[in-house]
Amino acid sequence: MAVPPLLEVRDLSKRFATRAGRDPSSWVIQQLSFSVHDGEFLTIIGPSGSGKTTLLNMLAQIDSASDGEVRFQSVTAPINDPKALNPGLSCKIGYVTQEDNLLPWRTTLENVLFPLTVQGRLNEQTRARAQMLIGAVGLTGFEKHYPHELSGGMRKRASLIRTLVYDPPVILMDEPFGALDAQTRTQLQEDLLRLWNLGRKTIVFVTHDITEAIALGDRTLVLSKSPARIAGEHRNAIPRPRDIRGIMTHQDFPALYQSIRAQVQ
Amino acid sequence: MATWERVDGRARTRQAGGSLRSRGDQLLALVILLAIWQGLSFVYGTYWVGSPWGVATRLASSVLSGEILRHASYTLIEAVAGFLIGAIPAVGLPFALRRLPIVTAILDPFMVGGYGAPKLALAPLFILWFGIGIESKIALVAITVFFIVYFSALAGVRALDAKLVQMAQVMGANERDVARHIVFPGAVPYIFTGLRIAMPYSIGGAVIAELISANRGLGYLIQLSAMNFDTTGVFAALVATTCIVFMGNCSVDAAERRLLRWRPPPELNMQAGS
Repeated sequence: MAVPPLLEVRDLSKRFATRAGRDPSSWVIQQLSFSVHDGEFLTIIGPSGSGKTTLLNMLAQIDSASDGEVRFQSVTAPINDPKALNPGLSCKIGYVTQEDNLLPWRTTLENVLFPLTVQGRLNEQTRARAQMLIGAVGLTGFEKHYPHELSGGMRKRASLIRTLVYDPPVILMDEPFGALDAQTRTQLQEDLLRLWNLGRKTIVFVTHDITEAIALGDRTLVLSKSPARIAGEHRNAIPRPRDIRGIMTHQDFPALYQSIRAQVQ
Repeated sequence: MATWERVDGRARTRQAGGSLRSRGDQLLALVILLAIWQGLSFVYGTYWVGSPWGVATRLASSVLSGEILRHASYTLIEAVAGFLIGAIPAVGLPFALRRLPIVTAILDPFMVGGYGAPKLALAPLFILWFGIGIESKIALVAITVFFIVYFSALAGVRALDAKLVQMAQVMGANERDVARHIVFPGAVPYIFTGLRIAMPYSIGGAVIAELISANRGLGYLIQLSAMNFDTTGVFAALVATTCIVFMGNCSVDAAERRLLRWRPPPELNMQAGS
């Protein structure tokens, strides 16, 4: 292995800052190590409260780790120093959060253009890309709607393409489809894979749904209950392009599902 | 592509339909109030309570002669000037202090004191300082408006959603982008609440300052009429004052409708939170 991993996590630990007169909180994450390679679609699965969001926050440098090392493109993130953090590392790490976090005072189009606006990259080419993505996820005709006028699934689509529009090399996703009905979720998973096939970005996708983790990922990590550690790692050789709706009928699926199921507590 | 439900913007139309019926009810309430007023002026005589008809004709004649407009425009200028002088720093200050929580905390007791102090009691002092001209009235209006708007703008800045800020930072927004695209638009509804409350106070402050000492304005007109035992004149000036407040309210409404188009109508709030 001559190529160093794009994103590397070593012995990462986290507990939250304490208030005066209280014992320090217990470890949320302890001695967690894994790495992500360029162009890989990694899914991470773990029970609720296992520190999945905390992990992604540290990768995106929204939150700082208590101990250990996070290394992205060979640059190490500051440890225990929230002020020195560089959220999104100069737009190289995109983050699709659990809630859509759309700006309520901006229309769909304005929300999608928001990253380009603040990055000073708004031009005809990027506008065309935004329009293309809006079309690709079926939001055409809703460009001038405000977030409260969209359904939950549409808001999720808007928040997804808002990150895709500025094309960061790595995208973190925190249960982005968790709160949706099964039908909309499958639709969005298909949209995501289709968009991913166009660019083959590096994606770290957190979920608590085993089927989703298998359907999307090249590799699946299983986290243990808090404090989170790696409980298992599963390579997933189901060939792409994948049929999301029929993924359960693939011959490799049952064994993979069983072995992941055994590790998820 | 799946078919997902179309979101209809019909909620607003429903509201408009509802307001047609409430307009009729409002008209009915107006008629009842006028009838009570007329009744009172019958019982006590027009010497004590000017009749609605008398007030209306007085108002019409002084509008035609231009007298009431002269006084009303003077009061309006005081109110508008004081409103702007008070409201603009009141909106600006919480934004300037956003990154300086210690300064905000030091200022806090003084601001609370200033908010609680009866500003109208300052009118004699301002007349001493600024004279009986327009300046003392503007000063009184400005200080009244300032504290009301300051606290609502402060609440707006504090209601900031930290997740939206983090999201924007991840996407490459700097401190200025955050202030401009996230903090300010988020605070606008709060600022409007303050402006809406402060607006009648600005007219009221101007009128009361004129009551104390002035040679023009609606407050002066009220004082002059009362000294001449002319209750009809007092009522006419009061109606004119109310009309200005009403117009002020309409302007705040119009500005709010334009700037807060993005807000969900009240009955959809539950959904928007999900």
